[in-house]
Amino acid sequence: MDPLAAIRETFFQECDEQLAELESGLLAMEGGDQDPETINAVFRAVHSIKGGAGAFSLEALIRFAHVFETALDEMRSGRLEATSDVLKTMLRASDVLADLVSAAHAGEEGDDPRAATLADELKAMSGGEDDTSESEEDWGDDFDFQPQAVSFEAPAGPTGFVVRFKPRADLYAKANESALLLRELARLGEASVELDAHDVPPINEIDPEAAYLSWTVTLTGDMDETAIREVFEFVDGDCELSIEPIAADEAEAGGEPEFDIGSLLAKVQGDAPAATEEAPAEIEPAAAAEPEPEAAPEPAPTLAVVPKAAAPEAPADALASTGPRKTEAGATIRVDLERVDRLIDLVGELVINQAVLSQRVMEAGLARASAVAMGLDELEQLTREIQDSVMAIRAQPVKSVFQRMPRLVREVAAMTGKPVRLVTEGEGTEVDKTVIERLADPLTHMIRNAIDHGLESPEKRAAAGKPAEGVVKLAAFHRSGRIVIEVSDDGGGINRERVKGIAVEKGLIAADAALSDEEIDNLIFMPGFSTASEVSDISGRGVGMDVVRRSILALGGRINIVSKPGKGSTFTMSLPLTLAVLDGMVVSVANQTLVAPITAIVETLQPKASDVHSLGGHSRVISIRGGFVPLIDIGMALGYRRDPLPATQGVALLIEGEGGARAALLVDAIQGQRQVVIKSLEANYRQVPGVAAATILGDGRVALILDIDTIVSVSRGEMRKAG
Amino acid sequence: MSMTVLTVDDSRTMREMLRLALSDAGFRVVQAEDGLHGLEVLAAERPQVIVTDINMPRMDGFGFIEEVRGDPSHRAIPILVLTTESDAEKKNRARMAGATGWIVKPFNPDKLVDAIRRVAA
Amino acid sequence: MTQIQAQPAQAQAQAAGRRELISFRIGAQEFCVDIMSIREIRGWTAATALPQSPSFVRGVINLRGAVLPIVDLAARLGFESTEASDRNVIIVAQIGDQVVGLLVDAVSDILTVTDDVIQPTPDVASETAKTFVRGLIAMDGRMISLIGLERVLPDHMELEAA
Repeated sequence: MDPLAAIRETFFQECDEQLAELESGLLAMEGGDQDPETINAVFRAVHSIKGGAGAFSLEALIRFAHVFETALDEMRSGRLEATSDVLKTMLRASDVLADLVSAAHAGEEGDDPRAATLADELKAMSGGEDDTSESEEDWGDDFDFQPQAVSFEAPAGPTGFVVRFKPRADLYAKANESALLLRELARLGEASVELDAHDVPPINEIDPEAAYLSWTVTLTGDMDETAIREVFEFVDGDCELSIEPIAADEAEAGGEPEFDIGSLLAKVQGDAPAATEEAPAEIEPAAAAEPEPEAAPEPAPTLAVVPKAAAPEAPADALASTGPRKTEAGATIRVDLERVDRLIDLVGELVINQAVLSQRVMEAGLARASAVAMGLDELEQLTREIQDSVMAIRAQPVKSVFQRMPRLVREVAAMTGKPVRLVTEGEGTEVDKTVIERLADPLTHMIRNAIDHGLESPEKRAAAGKPAEGVVKLAAFHRSGRIVIEVSDDGGGINRERVKGIAVEKGLIAADAALSDEEIDNLIFMPGFSTASEVSDISGRGVGMDVVRRSILALGGRINIVSKPGKGSTFTMSLPLTLAVLDGMVVSVANQTLVAPITAIVETLQPKASDVHSLGGHSRVISIRGGFVPLIDIGMALGYRRDPLPATQGVALLIEGEGGARAALLVDAIQGQRQVVIKSLEANYRQVPGVAAATILGDGRVALILDIDTIVSVSRGEMRKAG
Repeated sequence: MSMTVLTVDDSRTMREMLRLALSDAGFRVVQAEDGLHGLEVLAAERPQVIVTDINMPRMDGFGFIEEVRGDPSHRAIPILVLTTESDAEKKNRARMAGATGWIVKPFNPDKLVDAIRRVAA
Repeated sequence: MTQIQAQPAQAQAQAAGRRELISFRIGAQEFCVDIMSIREIRGWTAATALPQSPSFVRGVINLRGAVLPIVDLAARLGFESTEASDRNVIIVAQIGDQVVGLLVDAVSDILTVTDDVIQPTPDVASETAKTFVRGLIAMDGRMISLIGLERVLPDHMELEAA
């Protein structure tokens, strides 16, 4: 990628960060945050976006960011009060800014009518002055310390100029150098330089911070005054400067046969060292005893023309002794994700090797209390800690996803006409980066659902004696090695009669099915279920909670709902902290060792002959608390055996698959539970139906991890064919 | 040896642009993310010129320039202010703090390089 | 040291149109593959069977933390399946960006041959032979088939048929 394109990508990444910062700052202010650093951060966010946009000439973005920034500056300086209305406008402005950023990123910069409207509102807030013209001036590429008063139209008429230049001490204090200015001047044409050193006091009276010298430079040649002014642009105000055109005849005369700048430098150099050499001798002991090591670099202005090369050395040497050399100071480093992943892989291998070693030691019949076994226990402990620490490198706070939700809430609230307040908790809760990336879609669905279906209309809320503004809460926390995310609303709760009616109507359940409240609530996760009587723009399109459930399951997570009529609903999802390891139930099937993800398993049970019924062929169902679920022989499903295992000789794992459908998986025996490192089967082979991935167990052998959803759906298909 | 320029800017985009422009011109570039960080890098590196932003978290450009000028061993380092601000009051504050020059963003790389060459040897 | 010496030797071999082949036995037959694609040779370990896979895929084993598929080369080449035991070996080969284990009876030799020694596969050969055999080498009264490994793993068609 060409470097500019790469920087452009960086810019848009940074924009996203700034936009998030902007929004959370504005929301905090809306919530009563009066910390000046908050408004500063908000201002800086817009300011940075404007700055970067300028670099890439993203005009629409620049214009809007500028107006926005101006309004924020008014607020920052206290001229504009941060009322709730003002902040609401600012929040809408942040949404527009986000859209403009996306448009610019996609290369579709155009006029957004919303941007124009909002820009007007912002301008009105900032005191109504239209400062567009000023903003355009901002984007010139001038740089200076003086207004560009000198125009290019000035005739270049005269054949030369006399420049009189007398620096003040301030000029040196700002690290400007007379010699450099003279050198610049000499580049413009023929220069003759006169040094006036009359003001230099006797050496023992020299104030090292004062300025005593002045110069008169006669420049001849083809040049204009602007060029001369540019040379002095940084020192304007720190020197006395006069620039006068010389009359043609004067130029002819050229004054005395002056030395050029080079010889001037040579002359001053010749003089200066003399001064330095003398100085130590004549300087009072008091001065000499001064501990500051910098007498040399900032000597008297007499030395201002000492060749630059010598100057930086002194401070550098002083520095070398004051502290150790560091390159990049800072609390964080950026690391290529691939390197982290490689490290995670290696630690995974370490965990496996450690398990293999432990098992071998056990097999060798060493006593548990032996030194070797105890050493191994310590090794195991250490290995776990290393694994946790390495996983923590990839962990990120869920904030990055939570931050996208306030905007969504505003938009859905506007579309549905329901006033909503979003409350977030536990934004700092950390989880693996890959999990975070895959959280955004399900969360978006759930929040939409909570507003669209969960919250009642303001009228209904009023009738129920609730405040008109509904509350949607998004919370994250850790619980027993997993991350739990809750989306709750204070709406009407699930209308169970209606949900059940729809499920019957759509053939999802039998009309006479006896379902618990919880089971009814969970019907909304069934594929094709949608409670919206009309398909709305917000939750429609046939995409519903079943999609949410599927994506959560795909992450090795679980989701359920608890609803209280009249009080609201809470969706709770629990996810693994990482996708690199999995909590598995290790089972035996036809002499094979397999791993079933524990998250999918609801319970395990010993089938009784009376509970199992054949449907013909190899299809069987098992009755569990009055309901029938298909009984799937894993050995048959994976082709490990031709004849089904008698149900009473095995163990059934009751699982919840895709869409909440239940099934019982028949295995020969359960070996135990264990956290396993997930290994790809595709890296060296290919995807295998019914197998999600592989892992390596303590005996060093590969065990396959079951893809329960596929197994269940394939079996259902076969069952339908059979039936 | 090539000249070392310290750039202080909280924007990653800007830092990368500066690095590109300045290293193309043959300078060695060291970077800092804000004023405080700038002081740390300054203590560890030997920049001949500093280019700094004004609006930054933790320590802004004004504070940074004052700190640099307050340290005798850094008094001779030219400091160019690079910022989107162009109003006179802010320029004056930067000058008072001890800035050597002022460049308005977005910058023209050639002009920036010129300006750096002009204030340094 | 051996590696350092091996490098120029190999370069020389290639420069002169020569190549190094590793030969192995499957039953009474002798085959060889280019040594450049071989990563290591290891003893047989029981593989974990893979469902829905062709019979010549014996399963997967753990190779230092990576999951490695094992192909029974005899079955793959159309001979009878190998009765794997401790005497068998697995040739670990790099095929494209994948690493695959090839189950064979024994590794016999490393051959250095020039290209002109390799004779084309006769037209009479079976489809399987045409798929895998790249040429024939006659050496010391033996006939050795040069195998190409590109299609050793099942392709999609075979996977679905299985």
